[in-house]
Amino acid sequence: MTIIQANKEPQQPKSVDIFTIEIIKNALIAIGEEMFLALKRSSKSPIIYESLDYGIGVTDAHGRLISQGNGIPGFIGTLDAAVQRIIEKFDANNIYADDVFILNDPYSGGGTHLSDVCMIRPIFYQHTLVAWTANKAHWTEVGGKDPGSYSADATSIYQEGLQFPGIKVYEKGIANQSLLDLIEANVRLPEMTLGDLKACAASLKVGEQRFLSLIEKYGQETTLTAIDKLLDHGDTMVFEKFKMLPKGDFYAEDIIDEDGMGHGPFVIKVKVTITDEEFICDFTGSSKQALGPINCTMGVLVSAAREVFMGVVKPNAAATDGCFRRLRVECPEGTILTAQRPAPVSSYFESMVCAADVIRKALSSAIPDVLTAGQFGSVCTISLSGINPLTKEPFLLVEPLVGGWGANIIKDGESGQFCVGNGETSNIPIEITEERYGVRVERYEFNPDSAGCGEFRGGKGVILEYRVLGDGADISSFFGRGITPTWGTNGGQNGSCNYIAIIDSDGNEKARFSRKSRYPLEKGDLIRLVTGNGGGWGDPLKRSAQSITKDIVNGFISEQEAIEIYQYNQ
Amino acid sequence: MYMVTLSDLFKEIIMTIRVATDVGGTFTDLVYIEQGTVKAVKSDTTPPNFEQGVINTVDKANISLADVDFFAHGSTVVINAITERKGVKTALITTQGFRDVLEIARGNTPDIFNNCYQKPTPFVERHLRRELPGRLDHLGREITPLDLSLLPEILTYFKSLDIQAIAVCFLHSYLNNEHEKAAVIAIQQYWPEVDVIASYEISSEWREYERTNTTVLSAYVLPPAQQYLNKLNEKLAEKGLKNAPYIMQSNGGIATLKAACKNPITLVESGPVGGILGAVAYGKVIGDENLLALDIGGTTAKCSLINQGETRITTEYMLEKTQSTAGYPIKTPVIDIVEIGNGGGSIAWIDAAGSLHVGPKSAGSTPGPVAYGRNGTEPTTTDANLYTGRINPDNFAGGEIKPAQQAVHNAFKKLGDTLGVTAMEIAHGVLKIANSNMVNALKLISVNRGFDPRDFSLMAFGGGGALHATALAKELNVRKVIIPPFAGVFSAWGMLMLDLRRDYIHTHKISITHDSKTDIGKAFDGVITNALADYKEDGFSEDKVMLELYVDARYHGQEHTVKIPVPGLTLENKEFIDTLSQRFHQAHEQEYTFNLEDSAIEIVNIHLVAFGLLDKAEITPVAKSESADASTAIIGQRDVDFDELGTHNTPLYNRELLTHGMKFSGPAIIEEPTTTTVILPDNKVEIDAFGGIHIHLTY
Repeated sequence: MTIIQANKEPQQPKSVDIFTIEIIKNALIAIGEEMFLALKRSSKSPIIYESLDYGIGVTDAHGRLISQGNGIPGFIGTLDAAVQRIIEKFDANNIYADDVFILNDPYSGGGTHLSDVCMIRPIFYQHTLVAWTANKAHWTEVGGKDPGSYSADATSIYQEGLQFPGIKVYEKGIANQSLLDLIEANVRLPEMTLGDLKACAASLKVGEQRFLSLIEKYGQETTLTAIDKLLDHGDTMVFEKFKMLPKGDFYAEDIIDEDGMGHGPFVIKVKVTITDEEFICDFTGSSKQALGPINCTMGVLVSAAREVFMGVVKPNAAATDGCFRRLRVECPEGTILTAQRPAPVSSYFESMVCAADVIRKALSSAIPDVLTAGQFGSVCTISLSGINPLTKEPFLLVEPLVGGWGANIIKDGESGQFCVGNGETSNIPIEITEERYGVRVERYEFNPDSAGCGEFRGGKGVILEYRVLGDGADISSFFGRGITPTWGTNGGQNGSCNYIAIIDSDGNEKARFSRKSRYPLEKGDLIRLVTGNGGGWGDPLKRSAQSITKDIVNGFISEQEAIEIYQYNQ
Repeated sequence: MYMVTLSDLFKEIIMTIRVATDVGGTFTDLVYIEQGTVKAVKSDTTPPNFEQGVINTVDKANISLADVDFFAHGSTVVINAITERKGVKTALITTQGFRDVLEIARGNTPDIFNNCYQKPTPFVERHLRRELPGRLDHLGREITPLDLSLLPEILTYFKSLDIQAIAVCFLHSYLNNEHEKAAVIAIQQYWPEVDVIASYEISSEWREYERTNTTVLSAYVLPPAQQYLNKLNEKLAEKGLKNAPYIMQSNGGIATLKAACKNPITLVESGPVGGILGAVAYGKVIGDENLLALDIGGTTAKCSLINQGETRITTEYMLEKTQSTAGYPIKTPVIDIVEIGNGGGSIAWIDAAGSLHVGPKSAGSTPGPVAYGRNGTEPTTTDANLYTGRINPDNFAGGEIKPAQQAVHNAFKKLGDTLGVTAMEIAHGVLKIANSNMVNALKLISVNRGFDPRDFSLMAFGGGGALHATALAKELNVRKVIIPPFAGVFSAWGMLMLDLRRDYIHTHKISITHDSKTDIGKAFDGVITNALADYKEDGFSEDKVMLELYVDARYHGQEHTVKIPVPGLTLENKEFIDTLSQRFHQAHEQEYTFNLEDSAIEIVNIHLVAFGLLDKAEITPVAKSESADASTAIIGQRDVDFDELGTHNTPLYNRELLTHGMKFSGPAIIEEPTTTTVILPDNKVEIDAFGGIHIHLTY
């Protein structure tokens, strides 16, 4: 029997076998997931821990995305851009270990709207910059003219909150106290904002520790080789799936009804070109930037295209920089999708969602088993502020709403889901809403509107009702598709619209709107939030009698409506 | 917190038999202890009459149930009813305006890029979800009285559709259960035959969707679970068992049959937690209570961290949740287990870009691994263990199957050709990647929660645990691996060592100030009274009940909580609050790497764990053998390829011949009918007094 010494120093292997590379690749992907959970569980903002409105990840030294944990897919193009912005802005000699940068400027790389704050940390190994960790999270408050730093009627970015143009909040591990004091003095809920800052910084450190332990175990060279292989792997998997995509030019357009200032409609237009090698989204012809805050910037547009690209190509690989080598996005400057400073952007997600939806609309007939008819088409956010009558403390309820998704060639649309592209966003439990905010919830049920019929019908929106229990409350709303319902496909009917009705304590409707800034509420008012049904797929007359009967029994459609729309006879 | 009383110290040794039975997918296991000695038998599982398999094991062991004073039982009846959708037709009664809560769920899309995502289908269709007027507010105060006038019409409708079970869940019932109680009584009066269960009987935590779904699933499994448990009880009584059997729960304790029948959803993970509890119990016996417990089966590997003899309990259990679907929440206390799709049958495959993956797809039992010779062509982890010499071809599947070695070679060669490497290289690659997947799972329960694996021993069991354990330990810098005895029937073995356990978790918000001690004490008073009353009903006097007090706390403004033990309520006010705060800051720092010492702390849930203490028979240690020499246990030699540690002509040991005190060094292979233990070169092996294998690693 021969006894050989175990290799006690695996750090410097002579040649790296392909399996070790696989193991490092998997470990890199796991880092993003771990950072994601760490932030979720330690955050103080419901919009982070409940809505999961954040993304977090690791890039290589050049800012190429290696690994990302995502709550919402729309952040997929923004972390790497933020890191690249810091690399571009700072001299390499002025970047140190334990620095943390902060950035939310939509007009430099990586920004979306000011509430989405990016924090960025370089990773050094033996004095060499080897990678970056970064996160981007929706902070509940960053100041500005309206609570929650959202405005339905802002006319410039200067009204929308504090701007962090990519500056150091920690240098060599020491907090920039002046900056923290400045933030504290300029936001409405400083405890929450600064708590989030700390939780975000901590989660970056978790990523750094995990990345460094990989380098310590496998060595720098091997780890960096694995990163290159990981990125190449993404491209290869994408290219493989390209073979199955339809080739050619595909067109679609849609409108955004209004910008919150009474202007509109605005056109969003796309030409999608798929060749053997490339996937190009050209938004030339879309409307000029709006006066109201529904604009987005180029970085956001790229993210929207990446999100759809991943859903259409389905590469069965983690989303890395490598996956997007074949994706190109084109759009001239100064449109509603490529706004220029100082256009307001706090409701940027409306144009982003629409841009993503028109790409899907363009392709939906060509790949009907992958894409659907139109969804309710808006994040449908409200911002409700007031004084809790019990605790006398101010409250601020910021939440997006669920609605109906589109049907497709094989199934009905999904009911009561967050907007396509909102990912892991989850609703706030009623029992928690009532405990935390000065409202009583009176109803949370499916929208009884029959809109969206088809061989397969659109999913149902919802009705959510809040009774206002105290004086001095007001509501701002950011609902898209208040006038134009979403589309049906292949003969399916259109869906329905999103709106808010305010009903006084006598039961009279006193207002109805979709976008509004700070509408004043009285104690006893009922806020009825209504989200739309998704679009149907196929001719309603082809819907099976069994499905119609089931819809009637379940109260999704009345018998009378069934007879009228489906020519239903028992 | 164990209180030792004089009667414990002078307790007479009781000469009785204790029995534990565990119904698994293939086999039903029975383990019993008589006069300090443990024995085990196995018999086939007998669906759909699972109780018959239990009786068969009793017959096979040839024990007289009249002499048995403790009979514990674990089964998968509840989880099977849910996953196979074989529960009963269930309806829901809930608060007016909220019947769609069950279907809206949380509205999330885990498969974030998928435009065609499908939500999990609710277990109760919309027309069977009915509403009653009546409303409580967030302080539990009645806003609108419960109106039962609609109930007869609703129940008539349910009757007409052959509903068999009804779930009742109202908003804020976690604070005030009067409305739910009244509704249940009314339903029972009007329709005594139907099974009905209310949310307050199962969960007293907030979040209405999670509570409603839990109640619905409880109702859905109530009739089949009760039928099964009652049938089992009858059959055992017929054979002479004096006391009803105790039933294994997901929370790491057992329950009386009566309690289990009332709330069977507590049995949902009764199967998987069994092995983890075996690890807890064996750890106690050998005095090693910091453990990473790892159970590698055919399709999955499960692991859980045991810290100072304690497992972590969660009520955030999700059924059928994956990366692409949201699954169903069940808010019942379950031991926190991480499970991954990597077991002996996991298939190795190469993707379009030439990357090698292992699992989660499994070859199952048909065709099974290529070596089974049942026309399988995709190689599995088991095939890799065979091909590299770790598994003895003459003892494959307990010697029952002659492995198809040529087919295994061909399968690896085919994969190897794709990547330009040899069949042996790819077999090693498969083991490396399978190991790395398992290492990642073990990191999830340790490193990611602020624990250093070097402070733990790795206890491995299940068919594949012992094959991989030393390699995993090496990756994680774990210093000791333990392969316990009875690893093949470890769940049942663990059940022999358990007490009764009840978890009382109530959402009860308390902001911590300098004088919160009274509030905390008061909050627990009511729960403790309930616990003592519940145990009194089981025949346990107060001195046989042991209590542990925990709170789930968070910083003001956070949502997620950290569980911490409550300091002794006898401490004076300031010391109590200081200790509690300190424990919280530390726990937060451990879990999340930072604390916010200036932030206010608030308690969200109070959590009382109440144990009903049972007399336990001791396991008698075996005397140390005279010599440490283990060469008498060597039954052969063969070449084993340890990858980067080289190929060695390796001695094979027969586990049954290894006795207390024997020592030897690796490389070695230890064989027993149900598993194989791989000892790496440089490992040092020692056998403990109960037959456990301790493998020491040096770094």
